[in-house]
Amino acid sequence: MEQPLIDLVDISKSYDGTAVLDELNLSVKENTFVTLLGPSGCGKTTTLRIIGGFEKPDKGRVVFDGQDITSLPPNKRQLNTVFQKYALFTHMTIAENIAFGLKIKNKPKTYIDDKIRYALKLVNLDGYENRSVTSLSGGQQQRIAIARAIVNEPRLLLLDEPLGALDLKLRQDMQYELIRLKNELGITFIYVTHDQEEALTMSDTIVVMNQGYIQQMGTPEQIYNEPENAFVADFIGESNIVPGIMIQDELVEIFGARFACVDKGFGNNTPVDVVIRPEDVELVRPEEGTLTGVCTHLIFKGVHYEMEVTTPDGFEWLVHSTGMCPVGQQVGIRVDPFNIQIMNKPASEDEEAVGVNE
Amino acid sequence: MMNREHTRLKRFFQDFYLVFIMVFLYAPILIMMGLSFNSSKSRTQWGGFTLQWYVEMFQDAAIMDALYNTLMIAFISALAACIIGTAAAMGINSMKRLPKTVVMGVNNIPMLNSDIVTGISLMLAFIAFGISLGFQTILLAHITFNVPYVILSVMPKLKQTDKSTYEAAMDLGAGPVQAFFKVVFPDIMPGVLSGFLLAFTMSLDDFIITHFTRGAGINTLSTLIYSEVRRGIKPSMYALSSIIFVTVLALLLITNFSPDRSGKDRAAAGLEAAGAGAGNGKRRSNPEAFRKGLLVAAAFAIVVSVSFTTYKHFTSSGSNQLYVYNWGEYIDESVIDEFEEETGIEVVYDLFETNEEMYPVIEAGAVQYDVVCPSDYMIQKMAENGLLAEIDFDNIPNISQIDPIYMERSKSFDPENKYSVPYTWGTVGILYNTKRIQELGVPAPTKWSDLWDPRYKGEILMQDSVRDAFMVAQKMLGYSMNTTDPEELAEARDLLIQQKPLVQAYVVDQVRDKMIGGEAAVGVIYSGEMLYIQEESAGADFTLEYVVPEEGTNIWIDSWVIPANARNKENAEKWIDFLCRPDIAKKNFDYITYSTPNKGAYDMLDDDLKNNKALFPDVDQMTNSEVYKYLGDEADSLYNEMWKEVKSY
Repeated sequence: MEQPLIDLVDISKSYDGTAVLDELNLSVKENTFVTLLGPSGCGKTTTLRIIGGFEKPDKGRVVFDGQDITSLPPNKRQLNTVFQKYALFTHMTIAENIAFGLKIKNKPKTYIDDKIRYALKLVNLDGYENRSVTSLSGGQQQRIAIARAIVNEPRLLLLDEPLGALDLKLRQDMQYELIRLKNELGITFIYVTHDQEEALTMSDTIVVMNQGYIQQMGTPEQIYNEPENAFVADFIGESNIVPGIMIQDELVEIFGARFACVDKGFGNNTPVDVVIRPEDVELVRPEEGTLTGVCTHLIFKGVHYEMEVTTPDGFEWLVHSTGMCPVGQQVGIRVDPFNIQIMNKPASEDEEAVGVNE
Repeated sequence: MMNREHTRLKRFFQDFYLVFIMVFLYAPILIMMGLSFNSSKSRTQWGGFTLQWYVEMFQDAAIMDALYNTLMIAFISALAACIIGTAAAMGINSMKRLPKTVVMGVNNIPMLNSDIVTGISLMLAFIAFGISLGFQTILLAHITFNVPYVILSVMPKLKQTDKSTYEAAMDLGAGPVQAFFKVVFPDIMPGVLSGFLLAFTMSLDDFIITHFTRGAGINTLSTLIYSEVRRGIKPSMYALSSIIFVTVLALLLITNFSPDRSGKDRAAAGLEAAGAGAGNGKRRSNPEAFRKGLLVAAAFAIVVSVSFTTYKHFTSSGSNQLYVYNWGEYIDESVIDEFEEETGIEVVYDLFETNEEMYPVIEAGAVQYDVVCPSDYMIQKMAENGLLAEIDFDNIPNISQIDPIYMERSKSFDPENKYSVPYTWGTVGILYNTKRIQELGVPAPTKWSDLWDPRYKGEILMQDSVRDAFMVAQKMLGYSMNTTDPEELAEARDLLIQQKPLVQAYVVDQVRDKMIGGEAAVGVIYSGEMLYIQEESAGADFTLEYVVPEEGTNIWIDSWVIPANARNKENAEKWIDFLCRPDIAKKNFDYITYSTPNKGAYDMLDDDLKNNKALFPDVDQMTNSEVYKYLGDEADSLYNEMWKEVKSY
């Protein structure tokens, strides 16, 4: 099996008695784009800082390319970080910023100049060498921060919510930019964000974290389509999470109505959580629906309509559809068996947060 | 229309108010600066423009020495405070909220604390730890009070600085030290710089703390100016003060117009050149190399001057020394040089301004002076408190030059002539303006009671010091001026109160200036200033005459004594003997112009000086005159109480 580039083994970290990470294990293969995704306080930034060397884990080891680097200071690690607020050196020109790491390493002047030009070209800012940092826009500053990191030819690039401060349009542009860079440079990216859309767009692998535990790890499709628990389902996109009973394999009962599905192995008459994405809820005529309800809410969203359909038991189904159903009208609900995702019901609140990869 | 009128009026009052405030704040300083160009020594008359005082100032060795000390202390203390303060600020900045608030509060205390408390506590601490007071203690004290200012000016910059830039530098391969100097320091540089300038200014400005922590022979400008006050401030001090004011103003302007971008760049680049010279071989351009050179040169200059200063002050703790503690302007400086040359003894010369200021210094023993020149009553107090050593007169052959009559007079405070050798003496008398009294139709005063003549209403200047004021009344009443009898004192008090409506003012130095300016007809004055007064008023259309009143007066004597804790007693005796030598005594008389008790020196004087009755009255006939005695604390407070009653009546 291919050796992972970075391996976090049983990492624990707590601040003032509050555990932030608890026995976290994570392996990242060379040349992948891995995103740590989760709400604030989930431990994703701490994980990144431990990899970067800015924090020391209380327990556990950080292994980089087979070598234990747990106690190595940041300046001795073969990786670079792009910080959330760019952290550019405002008293230096752009060229001086980019040259910083290379100068420390005493690279020859011609080499440094070439590298500066190359890096600026790579981030589409050729000719900006002698500008001052403060004259740049947020997006441009972020690109300089990236250029400053990649000229050092790190094997691993850590990015801590680098697009958080940018506006929507710029953020989308930068997302494509990052994917392009990763492909051109062949560097491994570990990317931290709380924006699920960003994670889905860019990543090869998404690691969903909550309360210091990894909830699910997988490709964007896996994470989106087959969330392993209610937290992941809820955090990634919008979902209808409804209580159900697994009658038998491939048959689940929701609010008294039976839906065909494709999941197996939950046993008979087991209580489960059922995840159905809003775009997977089909609205049909009342007599054709597995369930019937009344449309109680309608908003036009551009690409689709967002509606709420309340079924007699009081549950409000979130529905995205290009078709429109006026408020007050009776409708039927139908779901394709492939679009029904069955999850085990957590036995307790705590279990909800427990990692599923153990 | 009404409205516009109203606006104009409003604008006028706004401007007027602003101008008024500015005048209020700066008029005094402008007056002083104006006087520094005044060719007349008078504080009230303009004698034409001159740069004479500036020239005099730059030629005065004492002033230049003090200037050097001041700048040196200001520079080194500001630099040290910057290093300590910046480090402290970084520590404080990374603290948690509560401890941070507490530490910042503690940091503010030294700034809010009154200087005198800081000064005294520092002095006590130095004495407690056995650090002898001198240049180094002033320096330590200044560093101490400067650190909080640096912390205060660096903190906001640190708060503004993004902590992640430091991490980014580390991330890019810089070690912690490199990361600090290349990234964090340039960011907080403006704060450090303004902290430095603030500290520099505070140090330049300080008097009180310096006063308490300085040792023998060390003066800064402020302590030097203060010690000059006794004889009246010389105009060259106005010149000096003007220069200080302009310097401080310039520094503040620089501090307030914070460095612009290019300045910041320069500072950063300079630091890069200095800080991490480690291996950063490839310089991009010549200017940078130039800056580097400049910085190295500056660093070199600092090191050299610091080590020179240290050397100078540490070598001066050698063995063959003499610590002299004297009044300001109370010796011809060339006499000191001559003494050093002849004896090979190094003189550390220090000044005090009043007996009361000198006493606690000797009592505390923080600086061990070898020879001191107090006044009569203070010598008695020191002897009674065991602070004086007996003088071995075998080592002072020149004692024979001192007229025995002064030794006799000295017995009133030094009954066995054991402790003191007279240096200067004088009387207190009445100075009068001949022309003015003629206009008033009053005969020339001959006795104290003439000062109660109602025709002098508003024309009398009295001494504003308790013993001198009471002396006048006591002598008039025929009592001893050293009386402690409450009834006699009460009588004197009532007499002074009775005179009060006639008195123009109770003043000290200004008696001289006001009389020279022709502002009053009569004034009570010390005879020592007579030569100066006669010289100054030479061009006036009136003459000033001095008379010793018939009822008798105060004969004051300043004498050399040796403190009990003197380390170089033999050298002190050599010093006293040297000053008793007639040629030296004459030299000092020429400079100080106070009456000399030295026969040999007197004989060398010109006849018109010898016959100057103001300077040399017939002491042997002044049987009803006395010398002040130390009366004890109880009597002192009685006098003060009575004097308060007079002043507040």
